[in-house]
Amino acid sequence: MARGFASIALAATLAASSQSVRVERLDGSLTNPFDWPSGTKAAAFVFVSTECPISNRYAPEIRRLVDAFAPKGVVFRLVYPNPADTADAIRHHLTGFDFGGVDPLRDPTQALVRFTGATVTPEAAVVMGGRVVYRGRIDDRYAALGVDRQTAATHDLEDALSAALAGRPAAHRTTQAVGCFIADFAR
Amino acid sequence: MTAALALAAMLAGDVTYTRDIAPLLNDRCAMCHHPGGSGPFSLLTYADVRRHAAQIVAVTARRYMPPWKADPSDGPFVGQHPLSADEIARIQRWVDGGAVEGDAHDLPPPARWTEGWQLGTPDVVLTLPEPYRLAASGTDVFRIFVLPVPIAAAKFVRALEFRPGNPAVVHHANIRIDPTPASKRLDEEQAGPGYEGLIAHSAQYPDGHFLGWTPGQVAPLLPKDLAWRLEPSSFIVAELHMQPSGRPETVAPSIGLYFSDVPATRTPAMLRLGRQSIDIPAGDAAYTITDSYVLPVDVEVEAVQPHAHYRARNVRGDATFPDGTKKELIAIAEWDFRWQHVYRFVTPIRLPKGTTLSMRYTYDNSADNPRNPDRPARRTRWGQRSSDEMGDLWIQVLTRDDRDLSTLERGFRPKVAAEDVIGYEVEIEKRPADAGLHDDVALLCLELGRAADAVKHFAASLALKPRSAAAHYNLATALTVAHRLDDAIAEYRRALVLDPDYANAHNNLGSALVGQGKYDEAIREYREVVRLQPSVVGGYVNLAAACAAAGDFTRAIEAIDAALKLNPPDALAGDLRRLRGAYLQK
Repeated sequence: MARGFASIALAATLAASSQSVRVERLDGSLTNPFDWPSGTKAAAFVFVSTECPISNRYAPEIRRLVDAFAPKGVVFRLVYPNPADTADAIRHHLTGFDFGGVDPLRDPTQALVRFTGATVTPEAAVVMGGRVVYRGRIDDRYAALGVDRQTAATHDLEDALSAALAGRPAAHRTTQAVGCFIADFAR
Repeated sequence: MTAALALAAMLAGDVTYTRDIAPLLNDRCAMCHHPGGSGPFSLLTYADVRRHAAQIVAVTARRYMPPWKADPSDGPFVGQHPLSADEIARIQRWVDGGAVEGDAHDLPPPARWTEGWQLGTPDVVLTLPEPYRLAASGTDVFRIFVLPVPIAAAKFVRALEFRPGNPAVVHHANIRIDPTPASKRLDEEQAGPGYEGLIAHSAQYPDGHFLGWTPGQVAPLLPKDLAWRLEPSSFIVAELHMQPSGRPETVAPSIGLYFSDVPATRTPAMLRLGRQSIDIPAGDAAYTITDSYVLPVDVEVEAVQPHAHYRARNVRGDATFPDGTKKELIAIAEWDFRWQHVYRFVTPIRLPKGTTLSMRYTYDNSADNPRNPDRPARRTRWGQRSSDEMGDLWIQVLTRDDRDLSTLERGFRPKVAAEDVIGYEVEIEKRPADAGLHDDVALLCLELGRAADAVKHFAASLALKPRSAAAHYNLATALTVAHRLDDAIAEYRRALVLDPDYANAHNNLGSALVGQGKYDEAIREYREVVRLQPSVVGGYVNLAAACAAAGDFTRAIEAIDAALKLNPPDALAGDLRRLRGAYLQK
């Protein structure tokens, strides 16, 4: 028992530092998700999964945000936290759903999930200067599971990115996203 | 046993997948959650279920899944799959205890479902000539597809099975039968398969039967004596509610028809309670409509279907027996527009004559209703578009015999027609230049004996198309019913100026003139009728009556002889011969 507790504590410590987080590229190699080209102003991680209908429905909206913010210095990364989403499954997923050509990453150990605090797919985290400046829903289209609006009124991720680029804090640092539970993927 | 093992055994022993969870999920979830089913993922194995365990706890606790919106104490209904509070708690306990697999020997038999047509091979299958392409993004799509019925003679239909083609995006289907080409014309006006807009007024449920589809629901085969009649050259009209999935999708629905080899002998009645006067102020969180009807005969309730759009919150229908006791037919505490079930009673509910059927729906048009499509909220009125509101409770009943059926329909028809008039008037406020709406509502007013209202609407229609002989004719007909013969005669004459060969206008003008005692003028009109339609019996019969009224029995007999030469039906021929005899006496 004692050893188990120690390993959990260790993981928490590691997760506190962005430098120690590693995720997988589709070729299986490990990479630091916070390595990005110089001149990058902010990074947006979007957690998705291949079989979650809610995260799939967001593909066009994610693409819209990529098209709007990539030219302004925001790096987007699509993160698959479900270990069952294999590299082949992800490649197949990206042939059907257009996320704007964003680099896919696998996070089978959920290291990046822990670092950002994401709980569901789809959920977004905006990182600037090694800190999470926004984590939560993409917009308010889903009020709860099974309760979604025809259109969103509040575009939280878009607003957070605009704030980050303007050097302002996000209106809400965290919001509650609605979708498929990442906790299930860890079982 | 060590302490750690004992603890594990206690947690695991409480609830296991194989013993406690698999039977539930096989029975309530697997019919949709299997490969190719309408559920987004499978829930057939421990590995499947474990990877969705917390999700399952969340959606069952909210009663979002399984999608059964009715109060579990209603019914029992066909295909009812709700989870009890105990079962929901059991799933929660299982996940809290670590989602333990358990002993493989405890596993129930594998879940079973039928691939393909649920009712067996259909007699006829209807498909679209090309699939519909649903865009990756955007709001929900409501699109109406019109499928010609490929039968050469009338058939009796025991079942209509709908297959969505793409269950991931098709959320439900409203299905109607259009005996006219009206729906087909609407389809042809828009590019691609189907059209967006409203279901044509001529597309209806057939002879008191529900049609439609929601995931996991298949209408069972009807007993042969209850099958419904489908005419050749009619159209099946299917309005599909589709939700974009995030990628472009193709949707190729199909419909299977199952015929009876004998004609039906019984016809149910379709009752409809509800209000078309719905007018919900912006922000009103508890707008309520009620309606009721007292049954004039004994009935058995076969099925009910509540219908409302996004803002309805609480929906219920009751039957109050003559002794004052109440039976809840259906109650939905959290209405969800997405799940338009037809609730079929396993055992029909017997209601004696004098029972009051009632409905009560409450709407939340405030910003606090997350399903409210308008932010900020706006005033919302009745209408068939999903952006408007509706509030109907359809109740399918069987009567003891045809005499009771006709008593019921005679009693009920004026109520539903009067409500339809209100709906038309709302539509007309939105589209005042739509002459068709004025024409339709005028016909309903005539049916209800409200001739003055019919005159008003036909006059409005005429104002929109003053060069239409038919519009003058329609107005004249309503004026006749309203006993305004001078005005009617003037309108018939205007119709005839525009179209001198308008036989019906000559005929009705003749009848109006007879009504004023102007027989010679009437005879001139009827002569035109028989000139234009020499093979139609009615013209000669009217001509004969007018000649007789004018005292010219020779001409009257000539007209009767001309009518008899056309071999009219026996009963009419008999009447004509008796008349001829009477005229000869004079």
